[in-house]
Amino acid sequence: MVSAAGGPGPDRAAGWYWGARPVDALMAEPGVATRALLALGGGIADDRALAHRICDACAEGLGMDGAAISLLTATASRETLWATDATAERLEDLQFTLNEGACMEAAATGQPVLVGELRDSPHTARWPIFADAVLAQTDVGALFALPLQWGAVNLGVLDLYRRSPGELSAAQHRDLIGAGDTAALMMLEVRTDPGRGDGPDPAVNSRAEIHQATGMVLVQLGISATDALARLRAYAFVQQRLLIDAARDVVAHRLLFTEEMI
Amino acid sequence: MDAEQESVLSPPGPGRERQVTRAFVELADTLVDDYDIIDLLDRLVAHSVELLAADAAGIVLADPRGALRVVACSSEDAQLMELLQLHTDQGPCVECVRSSAPVSVPDLSEAAGRWPLFARAVAQRGAFRSVHALPLRLRGAAVGALNLFHHRPGALPAQDLALGQALADVATIGILSEQAIRRGEVVNEQLQTALNSRVIIEQAKGVLAQHAGLSMDAAFDRLRSYARDHNLRLSEVARSLVDDDLDPDMMFPAARARQRRGRP
Repeated sequence: MVSAAGGPGPDRAAGWYWGARPVDALMAEPGVATRALLALGGGIADDRALAHRICDACAEGLGMDGAAISLLTATASRETLWATDATAERLEDLQFTLNEGACMEAAATGQPVLVGELRDSPHTARWPIFADAVLAQTDVGALFALPLQWGAVNLGVLDLYRRSPGELSAAQHRDLIGAGDTAALMMLEVRTDPGRGDGPDPAVNSRAEIHQATGMVLVQLGISATDALARLRAYAFVQQRLLIDAARDVVAHRLLFTEEMI
Repeated sequence: MDAEQESVLSPPGPGRERQVTRAFVELADTLVDDYDIIDLLDRLVAHSVELLAADAAGIVLADPRGALRVVACSSEDAQLMELLQLHTDQGPCVECVRSSAPVSVPDLSEAAGRWPLFARAVAQRGAFRSVHALPLRLRGAAVGALNLFHHRPGALPAQDLALGQALADVATIGILSEQAIRRGEVVNEQLQTALNSRVIIEQAKGVLAQHAGLSMDAAFDRLRSYARDHNLRLSEVARSLVDDDLDPDMMFPAARARQRRGRP
């Protein structure tokens, strides 16, 4: 019955969806990497420092050999924020040079690209030149690329690699998705409210009015969604108000952002 | 509990069978196409409200950190959304997802002992008197819940609960897709995608509301009709709007017609 590629590992067979008490596991504590990220808290100065911490936490928590985070917002501004080692850096450089790869696919689709068996996966047909180059120039056996998404906005791509091939266990998969979601929140935090936050604030993702107000401010000022959220946050901070209250005022047309403000 | 409070909400009226059939045919049609998950869930909460005579309905999903987040809601009512995802770790929605069993609260005024914080929040904010939470079931687990709110107290009849559960099951199938249900490890990814699609759509609603001076509900309607008219996914249209790849003017037929005729 367990027929996923890579065969059923022990974890997979006993994972939450086959286990006796799946509910507990589904609502369970976040995994090792996610917990490590949550423990980082706030006060991280910039996105480079944050990328460093995220890469370390995810590589260690998910049993990887290395990690990198790159920005791929526009073709003109590709940039690697952090790479834990020379191999991780090489993987990023190869993608940008060849203009294809797991990380670029993740950024384009907004979906994770998980290739546990780099040597033997139909998935590499989507980026054959990159796959050949990785196999020829590195000893990487598995690649996992996770987009850090906030709605329509891509805040970067987390790339993880492992020398030994093999699919993620169910628990690792859950942890990876949780870590990606948490890392995206932290990236958003550091870009829009640098140095002030006290760690990822899940309310930013769960309040519809904050997203709606972001869309409205984006039009009012003709800026990107990330910048619009930054302006909202700056306004709330200066006025000593809650972000959600400022967002509600924008949605109710009680607050209009103009170039002259702030 | 006295007999009056045990009174049954909305006994099914004549003609409902036809409504139910129409709803399921429409949902099944959606599932065949390359559907957008938020569009499907939005239709689903609308059907839930109509078929079960509810005053509001919402679907919550468990996010990767175990918190509940709203992914579809029958109205823009901010207070309803707060009730759905209270960070108090208690209430019928949370209990329904945890136990993966339906939770019925025919009279919320009697819920204070069980969920004091939830009961207080309802008393402060809501005009709701009863709530029924039905699990989005997956092999004995629950990935979220369909919640039905009524202004009047009373229990939903068994027949209605069964119908509500069928609607909740359609939501699960829609979110996870057949392939994901077969390969359990993809579940978290699909849930995350659904949650993120919701964020994209809220951002796009804001863009459209500001651009055209629309209410959020009207902005959502426009987004949806544009996507349907052009056979596009709702979240793709929303993404293009937020990324500034789609001119919001194009969403309005009059403006398009003017442009075609080469007028400003």
